Amino acid sequence: MAALREGEFAALRGLLKAPSKEAVRQLCQDCFSSPPAGLGPLAQRACPAIAASPEEAAQLVAALHSLTRHVVYRGLTRAEDVLALFPEDFHQNLKNLLTKIILENVSTWRNEAQASQISLPRLVDMDWRVDIKTSSDTINRMAVPTCLLQLKIQEDAALCGNSPVVSALTVELSKETLDTMLEGLGRIRDQLSAVANK
Amino acid sequence: AADKISLIPQDFFAELCEQIIQHLNHKIPGVNTVELCRRLQTSGIEISVGELAKITNAVSFLFSTAARNNLSTEDLVTTLGSAGSTLPKHAVQVIRHVWNEQSKSVSVSEDVGNMATVGQFVDMKWKLGVAVSSDTCRSLKYPYVTVTLNVADPSGQITDKTFEMTIPQFKNFFRQFKEMAAVLETV
Repeated sequence: MAALREGEFAALRGLLKAPSKEAVRQLCQDCFSSPPAGLGPLAQRACPAIAASPEEAAQLVAALHSLTRHVVYRGLTRAEDVLALFPEDFHQNLKNLLTKIILENVSTWRNEAQASQISLPRLVDMDWRVDIKTSSDTINRMAVPTCLLQLKIQEDAALCGNSPVVSALTVELSKETLDTMLEGLGRIRDQLSAVANK
Repeated sequence: AADKISLIPQDFFAELCEQIIQHLNHKIPGVNTVELCRRLQTSGIEISVGELAKITNAVSFLFSTAARNNLSTEDLVTTLGSAGSTLPKHAVQVIRHVWNEQSKSVSVSEDVGNMATVGQFVDMKWKLGVAVSSDTCRSLKYPYVTVTLNVADPSGQITDKTFEMTIPQFKNFFRQFKEMAAVLETV
């Protein structure tokens, strides 16, 4: 499967008009991180910097997005593999620059892709406190330790876009229920070790 | 709520009342409204979890008030009738039957656990998975832990919350719980 179509590689040549290597690097990062829907606005912002017409900017940004995403999707990590994506007659220096930038970023980008792939809501924070209940309107004296746990859970990032919804779940645990929890967690830990050893 | 009760078939309503009584007796941590609602919807009854929750609260309040005032079955039924509520006959029958059987066992004393204004932890289910591929990365070996917590909210209804953790997050999660347990030991 080719990374890009013929015309798309041609569009990349617009990068030759970029003011600096740093600008190219920044644009690569922005193009990778942007979802397809964000490419339009990104192209408009990039337009003046690379002295391109709106159509050229849009094509360039789309091509960079496809190229960077393709490298991450295929899990390419070697220079030869990235260089091989380009057509034979592609501008040598630009090809080398792009390959260098891509290889520098590929591992960060892979983590970024994994962090934003579809998933159930994610745990983002947890806070806890241990209280002792000393009395109530029905029981005069007691010393019952109890745990208050607050979990902050973020809904699926892919669904919320740039403003993820974080909900807080506050739960009380007694010694017994805490032990139940620990038992379950201990089993997960055992399974993890078993899987890691395979 | 009364008009929605008429949607619930007698056997489901009886099951709901049984669960409510068991919750009031502290035999179960809460009423599983979500699960009951799902079963009702599967058998074609159009009722939302919110509506079922309101009904559960109302019936729970009815039973706990009756227990506090030591109402006999006849008193209870009379109260129902005179309160102007238009409960369907089958519902009244269920309430009468359940109260007849169970009223003596409903204790109204507060136990320590009921003082919370937060949810009570009931159960945890988990799954350890490894993602092998996604639309962004063709080849992955991405392990993750999925956890579902069952929580009984203050009104006694059980809800669940499901979320995912990365392995480092899980390790931190586990460590925090061990710390909590250690603190609980010492107080």
